[in-house]
Amino acid sequence: MNAVFEVERLNKTFGGLAVTQAVSLTMAPGDRVALIGPNGAGKTTFVNLVTGHLKPDSGVVSLAGEQLNGMNPMQRVQRGLVRSFQVTRLFPEMTPREHLALAVLQRQGRTGRLFGTFWSMPEVLEEIEALLRTLGLEGAADHKVAEIAYGQQRLLEIAFALALRPKVLLLDEPAAGVPQSETPRIESALAGLPADLAVLMIEHDMDLVFRFAQRVIVLAAGTIIFDGAPGEVTKDARVREAYLGSYADDRSAA
Amino acid sequence: MQSVLSIAVDALAYGMVLFVISIGLSMTMGLMRVVNLAHGAFAMVGGYLASYAVRDLGLGYVAGVVLAVAGTVVIAAPIERLLYRRIYNKAELIQVLMTIGITFCVIGIANYVFGPTLKTIPLPEVLSGPVDLGFRSIAAHKLFAIVCGLAVAVALWYLVERTPFGVKLRASVDNAPMAAALGVRTKSVYAASFAIAVGLAAFGGIVGAELLPIEPYYALRYMVTFLVVVSVGGAGSIGGALLACLVLGAVDTTGRYLVPEYGEFFFYLAVIVIVCVFPRGLLGRA
Repeated sequence: MNAVFEVERLNKTFGGLAVTQAVSLTMAPGDRVALIGPNGAGKTTFVNLVTGHLKPDSGVVSLAGEQLNGMNPMQRVQRGLVRSFQVTRLFPEMTPREHLALAVLQRQGRTGRLFGTFWSMPEVLEEIEALLRTLGLEGAADHKVAEIAYGQQRLLEIAFALALRPKVLLLDEPAAGVPQSETPRIESALAGLPADLAVLMIEHDMDLVFRFAQRVIVLAAGTIIFDGAPGEVTKDARVREAYLGSYADDRSAA
Repeated sequence: MQSVLSIAVDALAYGMVLFVISIGLSMTMGLMRVVNLAHGAFAMVGGYLASYAVRDLGLGYVAGVVLAVAGTVVIAAPIERLLYRRIYNKAELIQVLMTIGITFCVIGIANYVFGPTLKTIPLPEVLSGPVDLGFRSIAAHKLFAIVCGLAVAVALWYLVERTPFGVKLRASVDNAPMAAALGVRTKSVYAASFAIAVGLAAFGGIVGAELLPIEPYYALRYMVTFLVVVSVGGAGSIGGALLACLVLGAVDTTGRYLVPEYGEFFFYLAVIVIVCVFPRGLLGRA
């Protein structure tokens, strides 16, 4: 299958310290990839380089064959490289329904309209309803985001990103901070993501990683030290040394 | 009974004029976070332009109002582009200094161009006489101000809460970098909101000219009144501004009727009480 997302030899140094070194990866539509690594491994820097929030020193990022270098984050979003927005980046005074309306209308370039309401745009409403249903947010649809449960806010992040119809979705710890009782909802939402969407998930929770990913990439000190099947990752000596530590021991013992 | 009704009508008309002018300021302060002391100056510019169009050029009232509102927006647009954009997200003191500077410049220019005298905007016949409501008659222009106030409240609520533009505006206000990341051109959204706010100021200045007469120091004379309405109502809240205007309009008008020697004492007493009890304004955003 053709690659939808390609990163070639991405490099970035901060004041002489190489935080990203020759990082390359390729993803095809439908891929479910987890990006893991110890704190300070350069995961966030990598995401920022890819989304255009940071400028790489060298390297190429392409989406569906188109080079993204030189594009700003907004242009990358419009082309289909979408990062799930962390809760702190949602709009606290707006409802989930309005979030999705904004995303859908923005995608269609229709937000400039002063007249007519989105309540009278059936195709927009339909799409919003479908997203709310997919993520189980119907009950919270008309409450201000500031007033809904944290788990629902995190689900909204995913719905919001999906409303932009991404080709590649970057998820940043989608279950972090969510109470245990609500994590199954997040997991089923992740399982229900569109089949042709390529998903790259940064996650610390190894249980979630093993359940979600077909492929795991381990980043340590700015370089990829492992790229392979989840079953292999715990057996890799470099990974165990760099990151997994006691967890790998527990798991292989189990 | 007659005087109670007179007070009520006057209070309502005065409150609605305050509302039409101040709601734009509430938008700029609550949504765009700019303390725009020059807001009254734009109301004044609207009044001057309308007076010039209707009285001096002899245009019809409606044409004069439309031209004056459009003219004020046209005058304000480059000011937004060149001056206001520098003070979005800046400290409030900087905003106060910049906009008070703009106010005095506008006063100076108005004084130079139109002279220091009071300007009237001749009303069309239909608005100049009394309207018989059956049980009593009231001045048509007061009724007109009341209707305009209600129409502005409904239209603005619809724009902000129901239209795609409103969603985009609220998103830009809630979280500008996030809205920008989605592809919302926040600068254009701000410019459009500013234009709407200024247009409303101009419209209020014209409709309210019978109650708040147009003269060069208008911008300064009512600056505090408009600010007070916004703070009492809660910046950014349409319902809050409406409530504040009705309450303060009632207090002020009643005070002036019954104990005129106290001047604006009761108006500001009410303001102090409301601010103590509702520090965020009657319906302010958190």
